[in-house]
Amino acid sequence: MIEIQDLNLRLGSFRMENLTLSLKEGAFNVLLGPTGSGKTLILESIIGLRNFQSGRIVVAGKQIQNLPPEKRGISYLPQDLALFPHLTVRENLLFGLKAQKKFSGVEENHLHHLIEVLKIGHLLERYPQGLSGGEKQRVALGRALAPSPGLLLLDEPLTALDPALKSEIQQLLIGLHRSIGFTALHVTHDLEEAYLLGDNINVLIDGRLEQNGKREEVFLRPRTLSVARFLGLRNLFPGKVLKAQEVERLITVGLWGREIIIPSSHTSGTLSTEEEVILYLRPEEVMILRPGKPIKESLRRNILAGVIERILDRGTHRWVLFRPTGLEVHLEINLPNYVFRDLGLKERQEIQVAIRRESFWVIPTQNGPEVRSLKSKT
Amino acid sequence: MSFSKATLIAALLLFLFYILLIFSLLNFFEGRNFLQVFLAPDILFSIRLSLAAATLATLLAVAIALPAAYALSRLNFPGKKIVDTFLELPMIMSPVALGAALLIFFNTRSGTVIQEKGILFVFEFPGIVLAQFATIAGLAARLMKTALDEISPRYEAVARSLGSSAWGAFWKVTLPLSFRGLVSAVILCWAKAVGEFGATVTLAGTMAFKTETMPTAIFMALASADIQKTIILILILVGIGLTALYAVRLVEKRPHIL
Repeated sequence: MIEIQDLNLRLGSFRMENLTLSLKEGAFNVLLGPTGSGKTLILESIIGLRNFQSGRIVVAGKQIQNLPPEKRGISYLPQDLALFPHLTVRENLLFGLKAQKKFSGVEENHLHHLIEVLKIGHLLERYPQGLSGGEKQRVALGRALAPSPGLLLLDEPLTALDPALKSEIQQLLIGLHRSIGFTALHVTHDLEEAYLLGDNINVLIDGRLEQNGKREEVFLRPRTLSVARFLGLRNLFPGKVLKAQEVERLITVGLWGREIIIPSSHTSGTLSTEEEVILYLRPEEVMILRPGKPIKESLRRNILAGVIERILDRGTHRWVLFRPTGLEVHLEINLPNYVFRDLGLKERQEIQVAIRRESFWVIPTQNGPEVRSLKSKT
Repeated sequence: MSFSKATLIAALLLFLFYILLIFSLLNFFEGRNFLQVFLAPDILFSIRLSLAAATLATLLAVAIALPAAYALSRLNFPGKKIVDTFLELPMIMSPVALGAALLIFFNTRSGTVIQEKGILFVFEFPGIVLAQFATIAGLAARLMKTALDEISPRYEAVARSLGSSAWGAFWKVTLPLSFRGLVSAVILCWAKAVGEFGATVTLAGTMAFKTETMPTAIFMALASADIQKTIILILILVGIGLTALYAVRLVEKRPHIL
């Protein structure tokens, strides 16, 4: 386990207070956050390039925050890769091994294995200037992994790549991680990249670690409204807890003038009666009912009638904007193309939708200002 | 007239101005006297003195300017802007004023102690070196900082994360990458030191076979109305300067890989 404990860092008006972050050993950890959230500052603190006011960085039970960067055993891959232009690919790859005086057979075998996996054997005598974008990425990865670091830090290395190359390098990273099993901390603001690569995702917003967990946990069950908003989640509605039934493990939430009963496992915190909450409804989970077809008992409680206001073809799916009758809200629905064609939906068509109670996710707010801001928007 | 044509004409006029200046010297130049004047013991002494003093002053300037340039380029420290501004002082201060300031310093208590217990500077060879050093050290730091600024600090960050010490990262990465810029800076500073007059003459004087550098010799020759000697010395100085500038161009032209 690699841990950043109680990190306090101030830079101008930016504050990071008591940040604690745990990275799983051998996992591909992702630090996800918007620009200006402090991701790079954390990364620079871990490498040892930035002084922080207080805090500890613990690797394998050893505190390393007072060690110089070269003694930390942490490799760093910056966004521009920073391949040494005056050295050949071979010299770039050997740079770390020479600096750390690692010349044993084990390291040699590891390097050969890396060269093979990265498919860069034919590039060894070339200089970085003559390499393609993909080749540079491969060499930079090889150079960073050659000394078998305890942690590999990747600072948005895929941001500037075109989509095809980005996809290629993402696949390469996944393969490389499976093959070698290094511990990585990948910094990015790209949601898709984080979902694809991250075994363990840490969401950082305004210098605070808002959530961490497995990708499904973070993307499907946001802990705070800030996380939900950063992830671009739609269908966020303000509601109020009417009853918290601990024995039955159910909570009753007031939403759209109805009482919706939701399993208490579908919230990230302990809720109390009268607490204002945010309900998140995944656009994929809204079911459009076929006229005349029998409706399951479990769906009958939450049926809404209304009209389709807009339909957009998003390539992989259709996006449907639905407005329930008598309510000042909109529901966004994502439909697979084949379902959309099958239903033959059109704009201004009147339809009925059903929502399973398990499709709701309740985000606590502790009656904070965020719920009021959402209320004013809806 | 188009914008690009106007700028081109300005560049051409500037070039012609300097070329005409040099060609005007040839009006009074008598080639047959060249070798005789050039090989005269006092002229050879002045050339040797200028080259030796300029080389020593440049070495000393680089020794202090390179680490200073690194600090200004890479580190943040209180008073950085003030230090940075002061480095430009020799560029805006008249060389005579700089020499005078040095001369006045050696008349203070600490200056006198240095003269008496350490090295004699006033009207001596070390005085020439010091005057030239004072003129070029700031410039050297400024030029070297520019060369270092061009190299992304991320190279060093990566080198350190791979196991290099701060010294090692500088030596193996930053220095080779900024080498051309640094060498250009050294050559330019050396050329400026060779041509330095104001501070040198104020601090070291104009003693033949002792402190008479080439620029001083030009001044003295002109003062005694020896036009031939003046022209030949100017041509030698221009030759040295142009060679240095050409060397800078050659260094800049070299492929990136060392």
